[in-house]
Amino acid sequence: MAVRMTKPQMINQQVGWCGGCGHGIIQRLIAESCEELGLVEKTVQVLDIACAYWSIDTLNCDGIAGPHGRPAAVATGIKKVRPDANVYVCAGDGCSYVIGLEETLYAAARNIPITMIVVNNGIFGMTGGQMCPATTLVGDKTVSSPYGRDPHTAGEPFDTLTMIQSLPVAFAARGALYDPQHIDETKKLIKKGMEYQRDNKGFSIIEILSPCPTNWKLSPVEAMEKIKNANQEIFPVKVYVDNGGDK
Amino acid sequence: MSKEYRVMKGNEAMAEAALRAGCRFYAGYPITPQSEILQYMSAHMAERGGVFLQGESEIASMSMLWGAAACGERVMTSSSGPGYDLKQEGISYFASYNLPAVIADVMRYGTGDGEITAGQDSYWLATKGGGHGDSRQIVLAPASVQESADLTYEAFDLAFKYRTQVILLSDGSIGQMIEKVYLPEHKEHDKDQYDWAIKGYKKPEETKVKVTNTDRSMDSYEEYNQMMQDKFRTMHENEQRWENFMTEDAEFVLVAIGISSRVCKSAVRRARENGMRLGLIRPISVWPFPEKAFRDLPETVKGLATVEMSLSAQMGQDLMMAVRCKKPVYSYLTTKYIPTTQGIVDFCSDVLAGKVKELEVF
Repeated sequence: MAVRMTKPQMINQQVGWCGGCGHGIIQRLIAESCEELGLVEKTVQVLDIACAYWSIDTLNCDGIAGPHGRPAAVATGIKKVRPDANVYVCAGDGCSYVIGLEETLYAAARNIPITMIVVNNGIFGMTGGQMCPATTLVGDKTVSSPYGRDPHTAGEPFDTLTMIQSLPVAFAARGALYDPQHIDETKKLIKKGMEYQRDNKGFSIIEILSPCPTNWKLSPVEAMEKIKNANQEIFPVKVYVDNGGDK
Repeated sequence: MSKEYRVMKGNEAMAEAALRAGCRFYAGYPITPQSEILQYMSAHMAERGGVFLQGESEIASMSMLWGAAACGERVMTSSSGPGYDLKQEGISYFASYNLPAVIADVMRYGTGDGEITAGQDSYWLATKGGGHGDSRQIVLAPASVQESADLTYEAFDLAFKYRTQVILLSDGSIGQMIEKVYLPEHKEHDKDQYDWAIKGYKKPEETKVKVTNTDRSMDSYEEYNQMMQDKFRTMHENEQRWENFMTEDAEFVLVAIGISSRVCKSAVRRARENGMRLGLIRPISVWPFPEKAFRDLPETVKGLATVEMSLSAQMGQDLMMAVRCKKPVYSYLTTKYIPTTQGIVDFCSDVLAGKVKELEVF
């Protein structure tokens, strides 16, 4: 009997991301996680404008997008009013770690039981590939660092999860998408975050190293290799906090 | 009216009236002279089963409100001066999806950091502002502690009637003033009654809610634009409110809101003791500006003057539009100082003696 490829029912439209982008994989991992945990009917997606925003139409669940950088605060408002909902954030690194770093850290500090998925592609994708102050590697050329990121003027990228590690959160981890094994591992992290939310353990954040071939000006395969060989040196794939069993 | 009264600050009366109107979500950030609203909510929101959050910023507080309002909850925040600037991002978003909210701006005086004392120079930001894009919010200006309670209570019903934000444009003097206030009845709000709201549970066949920059249930921007323009027009027509004070036979009419309007009442009485027939039209809604109040001014009226605590005539320009240049308009601008009764009377005497230039617009 022929094996046919299936897709999660939750994805109900064709997606609009560029070829080779990680967002499509991440959306699928989210949809599979919601379905396998039986949470689809309770799910509210909180999106940032920019690339994550596309799934407002392609994922068949209630959704909300608000001011750029504020989804952790928006999700806080929703979770407080609808505590039984499965409230997750999907947003980029510019949103979560640059303009919205304050909102991200305070949602973590308050240990709001939401699941935050941060797509770390090391660049501002939607606006055309500018440097991301939190995540662009030193030396990487972008349209706003055309000579390569210079740490003397632009500072160095930093690992936000080490900051979150100092806060009383339930779960903080980083995954990557550069090979099937890491994709599978990343899905487990997302599921764990949603399980902890369901069980009211507290705040969970899953950062995902994700390719942006369009703005990195690499082929999809080269982009995956860059994550494996360069980005994960600065942003290690690991679990930073797992306090889910303690409470 | 309930016989239950208390002696409270204007700010506290707003907070208590909000809770009685069914407000169950407040997020805000401290700033003088409105912090009593936040403090009152922190003390009493939990008693009503609601949520109080002290946000990490005004911007974050507005975003928390955006999430809670999208769930159909009755939500409120409050600020002043530079804090109110930071609300603008959120106000624009709320307007785009037509989410209801009540926002108090207890005006302080000055540009930049300015002063922490009363002012009225944020009038333009409240009435013409609303962040980027083009939107209108109902703006109500209380002039007493009683009115602070009454307008706050009503603001929640208006917010849901029109799916709009209602701005309560108080000032540092009305907010800090302590007076007797009769409080309205407690009522409960059912947040689950709206098809536009996130309910936290949806069956597979149910239509999902997409809370974003336009109403995505509509097919086109044309349809959305028409809906928005109709809403502005309806609010403008239906929600003009004002108080007439001794205007029937007036030869000169003062126009003022908040603390300035209270001093104007004293000035009207004092002037009349000396044979100068002043009157006062006190706008209660400042968006929509109560243009209807100026349609049929008595023939006796020789001119009008706004009394404002600002550097330039802000409400004065709304007044010029309202009288359509049929009567001369002046402005008595007292900047950071609350106007005095005699100051207003003297200004009116000078106007009637031909010593004052008509309002300059700049």
